Amino acid sequence: MNRYDSSLQSSTSSATPTPSTEDALYEKSHKIYPREVHGLFATARVAAATILLGIFYLLPWVQWDGRQAVLFDLPARKFYLFGLTLWPQDFLYLTFLLMLAAYALFFFTALAGRLWCGYACPQTVWTESFLWIERKIEGTRQQQMKLDRAPMSLRKFRLKATKHAIWIAFSLFTGFMFVSYFTPARELAVRLAGFALGPWETFWLFFYGFATYGNAGFMREQVCKYMCPYARFQSAMFDNDTLVISYDTKRGDPRGSRRSNVDPKQQGLGDCINCTMCVQVCPTGIDIRDGLQYDCIGCAACIDVCDDVMDKMNYPRGLIRYTTQHELEGGKTQVFRPRILVYGAILIALCGLFAWRLSQRVAVGLDVLHDRNQLYREAAGKIENVYLLKVINKDDATHRYTLAVGGIDGIALAEPNPVIEAASGAVVSVPIAVRAAESALPSSSTPVQFSITAEDDPTLTVSTEAKFLGPAK
Amino acid sequence: MPLWDKTGWIPAPQRVAAVLWITFLMAGIATGAFFSAIDPQELKYCVSFPEVSRLGAYTIGFLLFWLLSASSALIAVFFVYPAPPAAAASGLSDQPADPR
Repeated sequence: MNRYDSSLQSSTSSATPTPSTEDALYEKSHKIYPREVHGLFATARVAAATILLGIFYLLPWVQWDGRQAVLFDLPARKFYLFGLTLWPQDFLYLTFLLMLAAYALFFFTALAGRLWCGYACPQTVWTESFLWIERKIEGTRQQQMKLDRAPMSLRKFRLKATKHAIWIAFSLFTGFMFVSYFTPARELAVRLAGFALGPWETFWLFFYGFATYGNAGFMREQVCKYMCPYARFQSAMFDNDTLVISYDTKRGDPRGSRRSNVDPKQQGLGDCINCTMCVQVCPTGIDIRDGLQYDCIGCAACIDVCDDVMDKMNYPRGLIRYTTQHELEGGKTQVFRPRILVYGAILIALCGLFAWRLSQRVAVGLDVLHDRNQLYREAAGKIENVYLLKVINKDDATHRYTLAVGGIDGIALAEPNPVIEAASGAVVSVPIAVRAAESALPSSSTPVQFSITAEDDPTLTVSTEAKFLGPAK
Repeated sequence: MPLWDKTGWIPAPQRVAAVLWITFLMAGIATGAFFSAIDPQELKYCVSFPEVSRLGAYTIGFLLFWLLSASSALIAVFFVYPAPPAAAASGLSDQPADPR
């Protein structure tokens, strides 16, 4: 049960509802000063942050075929993803990618809890970077708290000004790199150096920079608590076999300080020495010993610091550890359970479908619209229908296409071989008339197939069905 | 029963987030869907608007979507609180109640 539930229960059980101002959810927020921590998970977190920030800051500089490898070229309405070029007509693929990402999140949450929050979320990663800068300038947790309590002095002003200047510079650089995903980075850098950025690029640079500065410098854990929808609904994906970070109450309680040479059992104490280190390192300011809480982002800082303390006390490690509810209750963790299998199957199916769709993707599109003014007319002793073809060239080169029509015996174009030429990314409208003998029409509305094929590349072909209308039978 | 009925108060960051942040995400989705179907360069024939680049049109579109969804969220958050007489009678307001 998380704190959200428990506060609900405790307040419903009390006879006179009073505002529980002591409850963390409603507490006026205080600045949290997380203590620096070292250890296995801290190393993993730094590694994850380095890799993710590295990708974010370096990817726009990578070239591919003489252009930026990953570029969401909004002005030109084209998205480049390495060898792939997506047009607005391919919006489906992006939707698909988002769905894949969502399902992957569900799957990993059910399996391993809040891995995303603790290691990969941009909010966590940038907050960690900002905390690192803060520590380099203002010093340790104690030094920071002392500095904030102290009245304004020249030294305090100097430290704060330096910190904010570095934060702002870092934020603006982040904003610049963000804009680089939408306008080519090299070009943008040249224009920035010449103070020739466009107004909209400037706006987004400052917007994203400001958001980074605010979210990573000030909002921090409040983003997770109040702004993040995922933090609120992730408990729906949890079960008793989900990996969570938990304090082993059975082993740790009763808590209390003791001399290192006494056997705690004799004093009636558990293994927790109540040093509060786990609380001091927590970036969201909770006490993990209160049980699973929705404020816990699963960063494992408390595991690292508690293991250190256990080492010093010569107790076994793992008083706070990655575990599952089942294991804590003395059972065994079931990894392959229905929820995991279902999430996993959906994820694999979606991945397969996406790969298949992508492999089937043809860089040409064809829409066929029937003329709205006239259903059909008689011409040269035959029935004639008029259509407007819309040909979309999604390839990177200009192509000429040949048109073929079929599906009805003896159907033919009124004027053979229309010229269909489309530049890269262009949509060309071609009006055409098609004729068929009335005797060949089985009904007043007969399916007819149009297909176009690039003259220079037979694999660039697409077929679309439309209706051929004739007199009522 | 909503949680705030017991406390009579939603923390300010939560109210701000409910109005600005969620609608920011929604405006992003709406902008993506709208402009993938409609090229702003084609809109200039039917909308009399000063000449702007595509990037400018996207930005203006995004801000308008944001303004629209944020206004409705703002009103929704406002209406989530009981009307003044009821609020006064039950001691609910948009401020933390006096613990006495």
